[in-house]
Amino acid sequence: MTKKKILIVDDEPGVTRMLKRNLEATYRYVVRTENSSADALRAAGEFLPDLILLDVMMPGLDGGDVASQIKDDSRLSKIPVVFLSAIVTKDEAEPTGSDIGGRTFLAKPVKFDDLITCLEKHLGK
Amino acid sequence: MNQARTEEGSLQTPVTEDDESWLGCWLQPSGPRAVTLIVVIFALIIIVSVLVYETGGTGYAWLHLMYLPILLAAAGFGIYGGIAAALVAGMAVGPCMPMDVAAGLPQTTSSWVFRIVFFLIVGAFSGLVSNFLNGQISRLREAHRDLLQTHEELKSAQMKLIQTAKLESIGRLAAGVAHEVKNPLAVIQLGVDYLARAANDTTSRDSVETIQEMADAVQRADTVIKGLLNFSRSEPLALVAVDLNPIVEDSLLLVKHELTRAHVSLEQSLADGLPKVELDSGKIKQVFINVFMNAIQAMGDTGTLSVKTFLQSSSTGDSGRDLDGASVVVEIEDTGAGIPEDKLDKLFEPFFTTKGVGSGTGLGLSVSRNIVEMHRGTIRIANREGVRGVAVTITFPVPHRS
Repeated sequence: MTKKKILIVDDEPGVTRMLKRNLEATYRYVVRTENSSADALRAAGEFLPDLILLDVMMPGLDGGDVASQIKDDSRLSKIPVVFLSAIVTKDEAEPTGSDIGGRTFLAKPVKFDDLITCLEKHLGK
Repeated sequence: MNQARTEEGSLQTPVTEDDESWLGCWLQPSGPRAVTLIVVIFALIIIVSVLVYETGGTGYAWLHLMYLPILLAAAGFGIYGGIAAALVAGMAVGPCMPMDVAAGLPQTTSSWVFRIVFFLIVGAFSGLVSNFLNGQISRLREAHRDLLQTHEELKSAQMKLIQTAKLESIGRLAAGVAHEVKNPLAVIQLGVDYLARAANDTTSRDSVETIQEMADAVQRADTVIKGLLNFSRSEPLALVAVDLNPIVEDSLLLVKHELTRAHVSLEQSLADGLPKVELDSGKIKQVFINVFMNAIQAMGDTGTLSVKTFLQSSSTGDSGRDLDGASVVVEIEDTGAGIPEDKLDKLFEPFFTTKGVGSGTGLGLSVSRNIVEMHRGTIRIANREGVRGVAVTITFPVPHRS
């Protein structure tokens, strides 16, 4: 089975490290992490992921800016983006992700099983 | 006492309500006091008349004592009282009374008439002064009442301002803390998930339990943060005119599992035909669920949760169909142990909780009150009278018909 490529952009190294460790332990994903939003577009261009997991509040460019850049790039515009954010609560976003204003949000802290459900849903599209 | 500020900045009461002095209560008296004053005036007139007659006659100085009941009548009953007392006093020391008893001299008609006119002038003038002063006193009393009322309103507004400022600063702090804490919490959650998956048959039972306890702790911390974020947000309401009863029923449905688990029976009495009220259903459900959960938790293993809705008119407080100023009321009662009286006034303070450590954030009722007040409603919590338990009364105003 081909492993899916996931790009994780979050300014918290602990979060990206832990997500990478969990995802790679399933042997179903290849993960690249990026802790600087300014380098996210370049990393996406190089890695060409199947899905991007994006933090919202980051210094410099925020998640919304990065998502806009990705959407404007013809090579990347079709890649699904899932926002993993501390600014939404689990009242506002379902544990396995919710569509808020046309974008998919997951609330931190996310349970790994819920994260996998969300990723599979979007990767299966 | 002048209006002053305490060190905490709160307003002190400028004057007391006790504005009826021992003297003031005899000005324009009514009921038993009026009767007493009239009796005293008549008694004085009789005493002075007897005194005048016994000590020599109307030509002597004791006659001047007659001004006392006249002035008293004028002070008590104004111009008409003064004139009436002057006439009675004039009659009492009338033509039959001698000028000089010892000498047997009769008084002349002119001196008697002159005396009555003099009594009348004094009675009428002092009555006028009394009327004027009483008018001034009434206006002062009215101003005093207005001042007290304004003071109360000011005090209430000040308390609200302090509360709002407190909530805003807590809200800002809460939002910041929540965001900062969620990232490390995410790391811990994912770490716990990783360790849980890595556990196998050789992993000790203690290790598995430890991992599970850590996972539970993360969830609890997340619940606290969720409460903080809810507390700090004051999003605009999506108000829609709706029936309250379906919202109550939906909220009860959401806590049905908790009711069953805690062996709590439900008594429901939802009035038919309630007028629609303007509500943000989602937010109001949050309030009801919070109050229901508090009630269920307060009852422990068994009890009865009563939920009642009804219409309350503004003027009488009774049920009625006059919708002007009326409210739709939800009354939620439990049969738990109740709340200690000294804690009742702290229930809506942020972070105050009567639950055990880790069982509540102490934000639920603060958030609930914020939401209810955003709907121009009220929420009141009191121990039930005569029986165990707590009654929560939530009211929502019926909108004016255009």
